[in-house]
Amino acid sequence: RQGAAAGAEMTGSNEFKLNQGPDDSISAVKFSPTTSQFLLVSSWDSTVRLYDVGGNSMRMKYQHLAPVLDCAFYDPTHAWSGGLDNQLKMHDLNTDQDTIVGTHDAPIRCVEYCPEVNVMVTGSWDMSVRLWDPRTPCNAGTFTQPEKVYTLSVAGDRLIVGTAGRRVLVWDLRNMGYVQQRRESSLKYQTRCIRAFPNKQGYVLSSIEGRVAVEYLDPSLEVQKKKYAFKCHRLKENGIELVYPVNAISFHSIHNTFATGGSDGFVNIWDPFNKKRLCQFHRYPTSIASLAFSNDGSLLAIASSYMQEQGDISHPADAIYIRQVTDAETKPK
Amino acid sequence: MAESEAEWELCKENIQPLRRGRAISALHQALQQQEGSSTALNQQKQAYETELRMYDGDDPLDVWDRYIKWTEQNYPQGGKESSLTILLERAVMKFTEEKKYHNDARYVDLWIRFAEGCLEPLDVYCYMQAQGIGTMQASFYIAWSEEYEKRGNSRMADSIFQDGLKCGAEPLDKLQQFHKALQARVCRQMMAAVVDKEKVDDEPQEPQRISLVELKAKGKKKAAVPINRVAGSIGFARGLQCTQPLGPVKNSRLMIYDENKEHFDPQEPKVESWMAPPSAKAKENEQRPDKWTNAKLPQKSRFGHTVVVPPPKPNFQPFVEESDQPPAVTPCKINPAVNTVLSARKPRREEQTPLKRLQERQHHMQLQQEDESKSGEKSMYCKELLFSGATEFSFEELRTERYRQKCIQRLEAGRSGRNSQEHSQSS
Repeated sequence: RQGAAAGAEMTGSNEFKLNQGPDDSISAVKFSPTTSQFLLVSSWDSTVRLYDVGGNSMRMKYQHLAPVLDCAFYDPTHAWSGGLDNQLKMHDLNTDQDTIVGTHDAPIRCVEYCPEVNVMVTGSWDMSVRLWDPRTPCNAGTFTQPEKVYTLSVAGDRLIVGTAGRRVLVWDLRNMGYVQQRRESSLKYQTRCIRAFPNKQGYVLSSIEGRVAVEYLDPSLEVQKKKYAFKCHRLKENGIELVYPVNAISFHSIHNTFATGGSDGFVNIWDPFNKKRLCQFHRYPTSIASLAFSNDGSLLAIASSYMQEQGDISHPADAIYIRQVTDAETKPK
Repeated sequence: MAESEAEWELCKENIQPLRRGRAISALHQALQQQEGSSTALNQQKQAYETELRMYDGDDPLDVWDRYIKWTEQNYPQGGKESSLTILLERAVMKFTEEKKYHNDARYVDLWIRFAEGCLEPLDVYCYMQAQGIGTMQASFYIAWSEEYEKRGNSRMADSIFQDGLKCGAEPLDKLQQFHKALQARVCRQMMAAVVDKEKVDDEPQEPQRISLVELKAKGKKKAAVPINRVAGSIGFARGLQCTQPLGPVKNSRLMIYDENKEHFDPQEPKVESWMAPPSAKAKENEQRPDKWTNAKLPQKSRFGHTVVVPPPKPNFQPFVEESDQPPAVTPCKINPAVNTVLSARKPRREEQTPLKRLQERQHHMQLQQEDESKSGEKSMYCKELLFSGATEFSFEELRTERYRQKCIQRLEAGRSGRNSQEHSQSS
């Protein structure tokens, strides 16, 4: 890895910038489920790219008809993606073959895979979540949500859906006949991102106004008492507090700690059990649009990419950084 | 076609009436969509929402106006999912500072519809007048006057028209026409009341039953149904052809306006005294609460003699909020959705009427700039754009619209480029 990264632009002793990045904003970065070698990246330039992180090179890319909003690995050799063209694509990374699996009635905002139930999940602005059988592949059901879907995450066999109007719905992927829990976000402002704890106990929800909530799935009073929220991604400038959206969350699969990325360009790592911040990295050139820990928790992919939060204005170049993280940075103390 | 006509016949009780009527095609469509998915509806709604945000012409009210009209037509039941009330409130608030719209017929119309949805429309009309919104529009005075008339205050209703005429509201002939109609209605009511009174004086005063009232508008001979009813169960009739208060019920507060007796102050309309008493809506079979504590069952002690129970403490268990003492909950897997722990919805402040919000907002706007420079927070994103419509938007949705516009521009540019090429080739 060291040798490969030598040709790359190092942005720190343990961090480098990925070559051949997308031509437009980055919408999502996802590591392969089995190795920290491969990174999938979807972009507003209508492409999905596969990077060899170790070799710091692009291995493959495929096209959508319009910008891609999210992507996910089904297995190490299959990528799924969806975006503004309403199409859900499956791409075989071995043969470089495209399959259009199905469509939504509006742009697809999120794509996730649930290994427990072996099903792909998509959420869309058409106010629905659709399930897809990845083997056939075909549609396995459409489930209406009360509002446009903005984010979703899988916790074991449960699906947590965050929609417009600050709603949170918890579905049981084994029995989609009814909504298991209907919640309201405990944060006051729009939901930006939801990610489930790897231990499946709960989830973390971030809002557009510099705040993050730690929530638990068990509805019993005792467990619910443990939930909390905190402020972050705020900068003081001339006595005014600048409040930034928190766009990205990623969990460390082993330690159950998580990283958050905000439009302030900072990445923080948090210990949810001791309610402590473990570390903060240097400031990245522009908004953090997406974050991903590798499966073994050794690498963090950081997409620094302006999301037009303040309108269509000029901004620093978009880039993906790969950072080696240590236990000191990610392990609860 | 016949089928679909039958269809709207079947559910017409769920269709809210509109002043301007409904387009039958929109109605059919809306009713059909209810059963199936409402994808098309949602898409159209989203399109309007984007237009609200992306509009950069000089008549932003136009988008709101079209959006609201479309909503009215396509959500015939009204209700929450139409979000009509939110839309009206937002639209109305958005342009309070825009002087150019203050006497725009569309804007005034939005205000009137907004007022009609409020609990206290009169307050809203007063506010409008104070702000100078609609003061040159006949429709404003008509709506205001109608509100007073609805409450039976025909005197104020009339004076509103006078105001309108004084201000020279447009169109004048419409205003006059409605004014005359009001006067005619009031006259007719007066006459009816007088005739009724005379007639009632002749008749023997026996309890008589008026169900659903208004058998005849002009009080001729009424179908008197002589039914002997128990004193306690007789309600009293409403309406202007009201007979004398019957039985023991005294509704001295219900008074009929008499223009010869000008004794109450026009500045404080006694609408309340009109509204309150006949609330029983002439219900039949209603039991008057009688004294039941009289019916005493002598309590006997174990020893056989009567015990007088001292009554100071209530012998029932006072109701205690469940949350105060959590009962031992048996773990229930069937429907955890009912659990209240998860719904963090705080009880809404009830006193927040739309009008209050409006005034607060104005006050807030004044303070905002000072506020921001002081200890305030500043949101580092285009908050206005995300939340300006009836539903919220995310950055990605806004960006999608920008992307689409750029695509269209590129397409058009390409087309015109090709056209000019062809043109030059042909010449």
